[in-house]
Parts: sequence; structure tokens; C-alpha cells
Amino acid sequence: MGQKMELACIIDDDKIYVNLVRKIIEIKKLSENLLIFKNGLEALEYFKIILTNMTEEKLPDIIFLDLNMPVMDGWEFLGEFIKIKNNFDKKITLYVVSSSIDPRDLERAKSFNLVTDYLIKPIELKKFEQMFDRVA
Amino acid sequence: MLNDLQLNNILEDFDIAYWKINLLTKEITWSEHFEALVGTPPSDESLFEYFMNNVLHKDYRYDYRVAFENLTSGSEDLNQEIRLKLSSDKYRWFECRNLKSKDSNNTETAVLLFVNIHQSKRDQYTIEENFFYYRETAEMTTTGGWYIDVSTHSIYWDDVTKKILDCPKDFNPDYEKRLQFYAPEHQEQANSIFEKCEKYGIPFKTELKMVTLYGREFWVQTTGKPVYNEEQQIVGIRGVLQNIDDNKSNELNLQNSLDIIAAQNSRLFNFAHVVSHNLRSHSSNLSLVVQLLNEAKNPQDKIDLIDNVEDISENLDIAITRLNDMVAHQNLLKKERSIVPFKQSLDIVISSASSLINRESAKIIAEFKALKEISYIPEYLESILLNLITNAIRYKQPGRVPVIFIQTYSVNDQNFMEISDNGIGIDLDQYGDKMFGMYKTFHRNPDAKGIGLFITKNQVETMGGSISVTSTVNIGTTFKIKF
Repeated sequence: MGQKMELACIIDDDKIYVNLVRKIIEIKKLSENLLIFKNGLEALEYFKIILTNMTEEKLPDIIFLDLNMPVMDGWEFLGEFIKIKNNFDKKITLYVVSSSIDPRDLERAKSFNLVTDYLIKPIELKKFEQMFDRVA
Repeated sequence: MLNDLQLNNILEDFDIAYWKINLLTKEITWSEHFEALVGTPPSDESLFEYFMNNVLHKDYRYDYRVAFENLTSGSEDLNQEIRLKLSSDKYRWFECRNLKSKDSNNTETAVLLFVNIHQSKRDQYTIEENFFYYRETAEMTTTGGWYIDVSTHSIYWDDVTKKILDCPKDFNPDYEKRLQFYAPEHQEQANSIFEKCEKYGIPFKTELKMVTLYGREFWVQTTGKPVYNEEQQIVGIRGVLQNIDDNKSNELNLQNSLDIIAAQNSRLFNFAHVVSHNLRSHSSNLSLVVQLLNEAKNPQDKIDLIDNVEDISENLDIAITRLNDMVAHQNLLKKERSIVPFKQSLDIVISSASSLINRESAKIIAEFKALKEISYIPEYLESILLNLITNAIRYKQPGRVPVIFIQTYSVNDQNFMEISDNGIGIDLDQYGDKMFGMYKTFHRNPDAKGIGLFITKNQVETMGGSISVTSTVNIGTTFKIKF
């Protein structure tokens, strides 16, 4: 294992899932800090604030984005995030993580350049470790 | 002058046989050609009686005898169409008439000519027969014929065309008003195809909606072809038109059924993915918990994880209940339509949502005068009203008393219901296409489950209708249901 990641980010409305991932990160000591947003809009507002304040140290190294969420779903978030992403110097790795096995969703997610991969829940613990390892 | 022999030859060439009749003695002589046609008569019998009994078809015997007597008594000319049995035993048509003598003094001899008209008679029958088939076919398929004289701008319609267009038989179509027989939306098209045919000779075959004299709309298939004169100028357009309303409405019904099936199919697909997604999200959490349990070092961690299992099972239960609700809505389909007064459904809905309505002091104004009732599944109508009314109240503009205006009406036999509110509205540019999808919520409202409008749309469509929405942010939203 290389050096520990600074900041990871989860955008997901499933509280249980978020809790479990938080536990995994704690137990495996995958990241120093963790950002959690209940939906796309909350996350987007956070990124917009960072953009205006230019405080890049608060940018996550990795984002786990759910698709089905109220208020602003994962697709809309991607559509908005793509517009502001290039203003950040930092490299951000983004994974779409969903329970949907609909091939149309997979196809659509892969059409976004900023999506590193489409992961179907549940994710195995080893896979988590690999992802963090690769980024860090 | 021609002699008898020459005359004979000429007559034979034209297949014309004749009798010579001595008017004084009533004696008859047959020309050689006549004998050749009908055969040699026996010598012991009167030629006339032999002719009457053996050569002339029995249907003409009475009339012929009278006419012959009139001729020989010098009072009348003879001119009849008769059938003669030839030596081949076959009957053939002949025209029989006397040769009119220019010499009025020649009263001693009469000449009766027998002209073979079998071919033209047969042609005439063929024409009559063809006409019969044409007329019967036209009647049976309701196909009418028409002609437009482009130089005089006059229109000719046959009887079937007039019948198709509900016009009396003595109706004279007016060229200037010809377009009034086409449905408004097809007038331009009709005008254009006629114009192209008249100017450039382009034939057409097309399906159009026409309007009868009494304003009834129906579908026709019409064809038209240019008619040229000898100078190759277009002088008219000729064509037929066929009433295909039954076919067309069957076709449209079929298309409609296909659309409904396609829509249902897509909803089923959507539903299948929702089911899969909802169940999978819990099962995947469960699987995460199991993985963590295996990794957990101390008992306290394990106990914490067990708590999660409890939550997951609870959520799974809720998800399954919701899916059951959705299926239950579909099952309502088995119920039958009945005549439902709107007021009655609204009263039921208002009483079941009374706590929400009273809490928000919502005002509901209903206008059902233009359309009081509808043939519908009562539970559907109530569910649609309940969903739209509670939605309108939930998404009210803060500080504003929610007002909901419900209106029913009918336009061109089509029934509508509109439900308008003064709520916060929806940005349709952003959310329009997702409005009626499953699990879509547009406001930061913790109550939003994102399922109501999906069900409403489902119900409206299952009943063969459609639902649309218009909205202005901060002003309000109007849902329009076409039943």
C-alpha cells in the first residue's frame, strides 16, 4: 500500500450504504477524510463554492457517484460537473457506483470521459482497496 | 347499273342475305346466300312456314308474322332484330329489314335484307356485362368516378361519388367550392395534387380526409390521371375515389393499439429495472455487511454491523411493499368502466385528503358544468385526482394559500380535465422529459417519493388517454388530461 489518500467523496442517498463504505474506509485506512453528499445538487454546490474560493486542497482525489438520487440524480450531476471540472488543476477520479444492471445505464456512463469506470453494487472490499491504491 | 349477279356478290361479301317477295302472289324466293346460311328447305313446304317453324327463334315468331303481313300488305316497313338458326344449328343475330324502293311504281316486288349483326350484338352484350360488373364493383367497394374539365372548370361526379359525399343525385358540384369537400387540414394537399396534375400531368394516388355535404369527415383513397386531347394538351383530370373510412379507422386503431402496447412494454421494462434496482441496492448492502463482518476484529464492531442488517431488512420490506402497491395499481385494470360523475370522485378524494387540505387551508374550486361525468374506472379517476391534488398542495408556494382549480370540458367529442395550481411550479426545460418517470423528485421535499406522477400517467394511458403538463416557476402548474 502506498501513501494514504487525503480526501474521498461519496454522493449517494442510501444512508446504510454510505455508512458501510465509511466503515470500510476507516477499517482499511483508505483515506484521511471523507465527504458525503445526499444528492448531486449538494455535491455540485460544494464544488461551486470551492471554485469561487479557489481552495483546491478541499478537492477530493476520488468520487463515488450514485445514479438514482432525489433532487439531482447522478446523470444531471455529471452534466453539470463536466462544465466546471476543467477549472480544477487537481486530477479527480470519478467512479459511477449503482445498483442498476441496465445496460443502457452502463453505456451512458461510459460515454462520459470523466467517468473512470462503472461499478455495480455491491463492491467487494478488495476492489475498494485497489481503487484507492491506484489513485493514491 | 349492277346486274343481279354483281349485286349478289356484293351482298354476299357483306354477309347480307335477302328474300325476294312477289307482293301479288306472296311468293318468296331466298337468295343463294340465305340458303347457304340456314340450309336448303324441303321442297314440299311453304318457304315462309318452314322459316317460321324451323329457322326463326320462337321468341320472335309472333312479332315477325305480324310485321311480315304489314309489309306484304304494303302498309309498313319491316325492321326487326331477330335470331336465326343456321345450318350449323347455332343461333345468330340478324337485322331484318326491307329494301326501300325509290321507285314508288315498283309495287310488285319487295326485298327483305338479312344482315348479320351477331358480332356487334355480342359487343353490345359485353359492354352491358362490363358495365354491370363496373357498377356492382363500384357499389360494393363504394368507389365513385369523377371528371374535371380544366378548360371550363366544371366538375362531373357519378352517382356513387355523390352517394359517398352524401349529395343528392341532382347535385351539381361547384368548381369554386370544390375544396369544401376536403377536411380543413387536407385542403392544401388536395389543391396541390390537383394543380400538379392539371399543370404538369402528374397522376396521383393518395389517401385524404374528405367531408360530406353534411359535414361528416371520412377517409378516401383517390386516384387522378390527366386527360389529353389530340394536341397533347391536358383538357381534364379523371379519376376514382373510394371510401376507405372503415379500413383507415381499423388501421388507426391498430396503430393506436401498437402504441399502447409499445408504451406498456416500455413501462414494463422500466418497472423491471426499478424492481431490480430496488432489490439489488438492499442485497448489495447486505453483502457489504457480510464482508465487513468477516473482517471485523472486535465484538463491538460486529454488534454495530448487526444493527445495519436490521435497517437493511426494514428498508427491503418497505421497498417490497411499494412494489406491491405498484402492482396493485396495475391490477385495478381488471375492474370495469362505469359512468362516474366527477363531483362524486372529487368528494371522495377531498374527504380522504381532508387532513392535508385542512392543514394547508387549501382551496379547491371545481367546474364540472361542461362535462359532468365520464365512462372510467372510478378507482382510477379517484387515484388521479388524489395524486394531482396532493401534489399541488405539497408543492405549494410558501406563504401562499394553495388554490387548485379543476375543470372538465369536451372539444370535438374529446373529453378533457385540467387541474391547475398556484404552487411553486417546475422548470420544465430541465425536468420536462422526466416529469412522469419513476422515482423522480424535483424539489427538496422529504415527503417526495417520486412515484405519484408515474402512476398517474400509467393510469391515464392504460385508459387510452394522455397527460401533459405546463408550468411556470413561482406561478403554478397545470396538468391536462385527455381522456
